[in-house]
Amino acid sequence: MKMSIRRFTQFLAVALTTSVTLYATDLSKAYDMPDATKILKQDKLAKPTKFKMPKSCNLDDLEAIARGKYIFHNLNGKKAKAKPPKGLVKFITKNGKKKPKQFGNCVACHNIEGAKGAGNIGPDLTNYKKLFIDTKARDAKFVYQKIADARIDNPKTHMTINLTTKLFNKSEICDLTAYVISDKSKKK
Amino acid sequence: MKRVLFSFALLATMATAGEQFAMSDADRAMYKEMLENNPADIFVEEGGELFEELGDEKALAKFLGVKEKDLPKYIAGFPRYVKKLKNVVGLDQVLQAMQVEQKKKKYKLKSGKMFAMLAYVKSLANDEVVNIDINADKHIKASYNLGKKVFMTPRGGRGLSCNSCHSSDIVGQVLRTQPLPDLGKVGSGATWPAYRMTKSSLRTLQRRFQGCMKNALLKVLPIGSKEMVGLEVYVTNLAKKEKKKIAIPGLKR
Ligand code: HEC
Ligand code: HEC
Repeated sequence: MKMSIRRFTQFLAVALTTSVTLYATDLSKAYDMPDATKILKQDKLAKPTKFKMPKSCNLDDLEAIARGKYIFHNLNGKKAKAKPPKGLVKFITKNGKKKPKQFGNCVACHNIEGAKGAGNIGPDLTNYKKLFIDTKARDAKFVYQKIADARIDNPKTHMTINLTTKLFNKSEICDLTAYVISDKSKKK
Repeated sequence: MKRVLFSFALLATMATAGEQFAMSDADRAMYKEMLENNPADIFVEEGGELFEELGDEKALAKFLGVKEKDLPKYIAGFPRYVKKLKNVVGLDQVLQAMQVEQKKKKYKLKSGKMFAMLAYVKSLANDEVVNIDINADKHIKASYNLGKKVFMTPRGGRGLSCNSCHSSDIVGQVLRTQPLPDLGKVGSGATWPAYRMTKSSLRTLQRRFQGCMKNALLKVLPIGSKEMVGLEVYVTNLAKKEKKKIAIPGLKR
């Protein structure tokens, strides 16, 4: 009698465990949860970086100003309508693939002479030369650093970082600087 | 009845959201027309049919271990830690697990079918106030913190973070003709899945995040990753703070 009760409990235990495992199939892997840590690592922003404006930066060069203007007003080569000025292209090849070149889209945040649909997240850069350069409130070096990596001047900036991210090269930052500080009051 | 209430809720969100849209009069007219007849309704209905195959509310309530009558409130608290799944998950991931448990093929998280089913299931909570509880357990706390970190961290080709454009000191300002939305005040966590007019399709909240990432040159994170669920937790909590009611499908520019 004693024996059979023990056997019965054993049977019950076995039956229970099987039914429990059957019921509670492990669902912790049943759904997708892709890993994004690698992507985030690759996409990390480098520390705020100081840059020196290169000597080769020719701020009065009309071609440089024209390129700066193009970069300032356009988002990328696919969206850009006008023909790019000398020294700029709409498409580049990256890893064997044709890709639209990214431009500054500075008008997304800044108003400036001739801007279409400008935003107001950043200060209005209209009349910049007269208001800021001629008055010595700002100089070309400041503007260069601001565009290259705005965090040096303002650690909490909402502005885009353009040279530290390698979105642009030094000569393109020169072009943008040249454009921002150029005299746009008279048609050239 | 539910239907009527839900339209009111939608109208209310739209009325307040009105100013955030930079659109032409023609667009506005179309928008008004869509208010009365959200094109996403058919997707949501289709989602309902797919959900029926899984056994409806009854099966979902059982899966989640809640009473059927408490299901809407419970849905209004997602993303949340689901013990069975050993993670903080979105409703879409719960639906995938149900599919697997029932030996059905699971839909991809980024598939149209999943978007539709997710929209339907979330719409079961229409008119419920968002009640996500980021202090409910250590898992959701961690998910919230991860989401906040991802939201705040600048990265990508232009060194921007979500916060660069959605921080409280900047919302309402204009980015290329588009006013930057306050994600709490527009109730993003309560109004997605939504019909996106500019994309002519039903999109989910995480899909919308991907849109901003792409536009701002941040590398796009995959839907369902811990980071994306964390972002959803963070953004949904903003809607909770504004006491937003769930109104699915939303209607967005
Ligand atoms: C996402 C918004 C945003 C974009 C895009 C943006 N900026 Fe800015 N910019 C700002 C903000 C905000 C400030 C002011 C805060 C600061 O100085 O960091 C600023 C400041 C500046 C200043 C300094 C003005 C002064 O004298 O104080 C310059 C110059 C400038 N931006 C140029 C550019 C150029 C060129 C581009 C494109 C390559 C650009 N910005 C793109 C937001 C933006
Ligand atoms: C460069 C600026 C910018 C960045 C960076 C950005 N956003 Fe946005 N976001 C916008 C603009 C502008 C809109 C509104 C667009 C519209 O009206 O269609 C928007 C809309 C949204 C919406 C939809 C709001 C609604 O109607 O419910 C969500 C959600 C959102 N963003 C989340 C994010 C997240 C998460 C990130 C970071 C991964 C991010 N955004 C990064 C500019 C940005």
